Amino acid sequence: MLPWNYGFDWNAGHIIFLGAFYAVLAVVATTVAWAAIHSRSALRSGQAEAIRWHSDFESLPCSDRVCRHVLTGEFLDRKCQRAFCCGGCETHARLLERNPLPRVEEPQEEVCGMTFPLDRFYHRGHTWARLDRDGTVLVGLDELGTRLLGRPDALRLPKPGRRVHANGAAFQVRRRNAKVRVMCPVDGKVVETGSVERGWYLRIKPDSKNVQAFQHLLRGAEIKPWIQREMERLQLALTAEGATPALADGGAPVSDIAAAYPAADWDAVCGEMFLEG
Amino acid sequence: MVFVDKEFITRGLRRSSTGRFLLWILPWVALLGFGLYCAGLCLVKGLNQTNMDNRFVFGLWIFLDLTVIALGAGAFFTGFLLYILKVEELRSVINSAVVIGLVCYSGAMAALAVDVGQPLRSWFTFWYPNVHSMLTEVTFCISCYLTVLLIEYLPIVLRNRKLHEVPSFLVFEYELHKVTYVLAGVGTFLSFFHQGSLGGLYGVLRGRPFAFREGLAVWPSTFFLFILSAAAVGPSFILLTTWLVEKLSRKRLVRPDVFRRLASISGLLLAVYVLAKAVDTLIWINRTSPGTGFQAWQYYSWKPFGTWILIAEIVVFGLLPALVMLTPRLRAHTGWLVTAAAMACCGVALNRFVMTVQTLALPTLSFDSFLSYFPSWQEIGTFLAVVAYGVLVYSFSFRYFNLFPEERELRLEAAAQEEAEPALAGRY
Repeated sequence: MLPWNYGFDWNAGHIIFLGAFYAVLAVVATTVAWAAIHSRSALRSGQAEAIRWHSDFESLPCSDRVCRHVLTGEFLDRKCQRAFCCGGCETHARLLERNPLPRVEEPQEEVCGMTFPLDRFYHRGHTWARLDRDGTVLVGLDELGTRLLGRPDALRLPKPGRRVHANGAAFQVRRRNAKVRVMCPVDGKVVETGSVERGWYLRIKPDSKNVQAFQHLLRGAEIKPWIQREMERLQLALTAEGATPALADGGAPVSDIAAAYPAADWDAVCGEMFLEG
Repeated sequence: MVFVDKEFITRGLRRSSTGRFLLWILPWVALLGFGLYCAGLCLVKGLNQTNMDNRFVFGLWIFLDLTVIALGAGAFFTGFLLYILKVEELRSVINSAVVIGLVCYSGAMAALAVDVGQPLRSWFTFWYPNVHSMLTEVTFCISCYLTVLLIEYLPIVLRNRKLHEVPSFLVFEYELHKVTYVLAGVGTFLSFFHQGSLGGLYGVLRGRPFAFREGLAVWPSTFFLFILSAAAVGPSFILLTTWLVEKLSRKRLVRPDVFRRLASISGLLLAVYVLAKAVDTLIWINRTSPGTGFQAWQYYSWKPFGTWILIAEIVVFGLLPALVMLTPRLRAHTGWLVTAAAMACCGVALNRFVMTVQTLALPTLSFDSFLSYFPSWQEIGTFLAVVAYGVLVYSFSFRYFNLFPEERELRLEAAAQEEAEPALAGRY
C-alpha cells in the first residue's frame, strides 16, 4: 500500500488510504511536537510553578475549590474556576463593589482558640503575607498551619535572591511522613530567610505593592468563616485518614496536631489542608 | 522498600501494603512467565506448536484478538464521548478506559506477533504490505491507534506523584493534556476503521458462505456490525472492570451516576446493534446464503453449533442486556447493571468466536468434512500470558497512577457521612 510496493497503483482507493494514513501520522506527530514546543517555552519562561498550581487545583476535591464568596455567605455553593486567582474574576469584582467587606474593629480574630492577626493577608494554603514599611513582604505560616506541622522535622527554605511565585512553592517542610510544599502568597524575590522561632519564614521583595497583587488573598471579615470551614475540612480529613477527632464546639486544636494523631496518614492530611494535588 | 513504594502512590489514596501487592502480582507474574515460554516455543519452533493448520488458520489467538479489540473499544468510545461530545460524567473513568484500551490493543498486537511468527521480519508488514489484504488496513490502524493510546497513557504516567515533581514532566503532561481532544478524535477515526476492517475481513470471504455478507459499496454488512458491536460493549466493559476493581480494592471509585450513564449508552447502542444484526441475519438466511448454494439451516446441523448459538448471540447476550440497561428501574440496581454488562461482553466474545471458529469449522465443499479444533497448551499458555499481562499493567497503573480522579473526593464524602451517621461507620 506504499508507492514503492509491488501492486500499488495511483488509483483513488490507494491514494485515499495512503492519504488518510499519512494524515493520521502527521496529526499525531504535530500534536506531540506542539506539546513539546509549548512545554519548552513554558519551562524557559518560568511558568512551571503556575502550571503545577493549576494542575494541583484541578485535582483537588470540589470541597477544597469553593469560592471565597461562599465563605462570606454570598453564595450557597460555587466552585472557583480560576484557581483562586480572583484578580481577573468579574464575579469577585462585582460582588466586592456591591458588598464591600465589613470593617473589623479588633486587631485580630480569635477562631477555635487560634489567633489570626488582621494586619495581614491570608493565602488559602495557610500562609500569610504582611506588607512591611520598608516595602518588603513577610511570609509565614498561619496558626492552623503551624499547629498542623508542629515542630518540623526538616525545613527547606529558598536562598535569598531566588524568585518565588504566588501559588508556587514558598518553602518545603517535612513532618512525620508528610513532605509539604507550602505555597507562596505573592510574586517576588526572596531577600531574607527566617525560621520557626522568628515566626516568619521569608522576607520577599514583591514584584508589585499594588492592591491587585494581594487581591487573591483573604483578609478581614473573611478570615473567621474561612478558618471555621478549614476546621471542618480538617475534621473530615482526619476521619478519612482513620483518626477519630473529637473537636467539641468551642474547643481548640492542640499545638501539635500531628503528634496527637499518630495513626493518621499525615501526608494525606497535610496534602488536603495545604492544597496539594 | 515500603517507604519508597509509598512515595510513588498518589497522595490521599489508600493502597494495600507492598507485601500484599507483591502477593497479588506473584501468580500473575508466574502465569506471564509460563505464557512467555509458550510464546517463545511458537516463535522459535514455529506454528507446529499449535493445533492450527492450513485449513484451520484462525484459532484461539485470533478469537482473543478480536474479542479484546472489541472490549478495548471502550477507550476510543469513552474518549469520543468525553472530549468530542462533552459527556463530562465520563471524566471519572477516562483514565481507566485508556489503560484498558492500551492493555487490550498491546495484548492483541503481541498475540498477533506470535501468530504471524517470523519476529525478525515483523517490519515487513509495514514496508511490504499486501495491497489486496484487509489485514493490511487492520495492521496499520491498530499500530497507529496503539501509538495514540501510548501517547494518551503518557500523561497518566507523568501525573505519578514522584514524576510530577520533575518540572519538565509536569509541564509536558499539562501541555499534552490540553491537546488530548485531538488524539481522541484521531483515535475515534482509527478505531472506526479497524473495527470495521476486522468485520469486513469475514464478510468478504466468498469461499466461506457462513461468513460472507452483502453490504454497501465495497463494505460488507459485517464491517458496520463490528463497529456497532464494539461501540456498544466498550462502555459495558468499562462498567464491568470498574465494578470489579471496586470490589477487589474495597473502595468506591466512581459515583453510581457514572455506572448508569455508561449502561444507558451501552444499552442504546446494543439495542441498535441487535436490530441491525437481526435484519442482517434475516437477509443472510433468505437471500445471501441461498444465493451461494447453501440453506442457512445446513450450517446449524453440525453439532455443537446448533441454532442455540444464534439465539444466544442475538437474544440472550444481546436483546436481554440491552433491555436491562435501557429500563430505568433495573438500571437503578448495580447488580442488574453488572450482570447486563457482563452478558453484553459475553455476547461480543461469542460473536467473535462464531465468526472465527464456526466459520472455519464448517465444510464448504462436497469433499470437505466438519473440522474440530482445540488449542494446544502452547496456544493456551500464550493466551493466558496476554491475560496476565493485562492484569499486571492494570494493577500497577491502579496502584501508582490516579486512574479514578474522584476516588479521593468519594473518600472524603464517605468520611462526612460517617461523621453524620456514626452507626453506618465502617460500611466501606
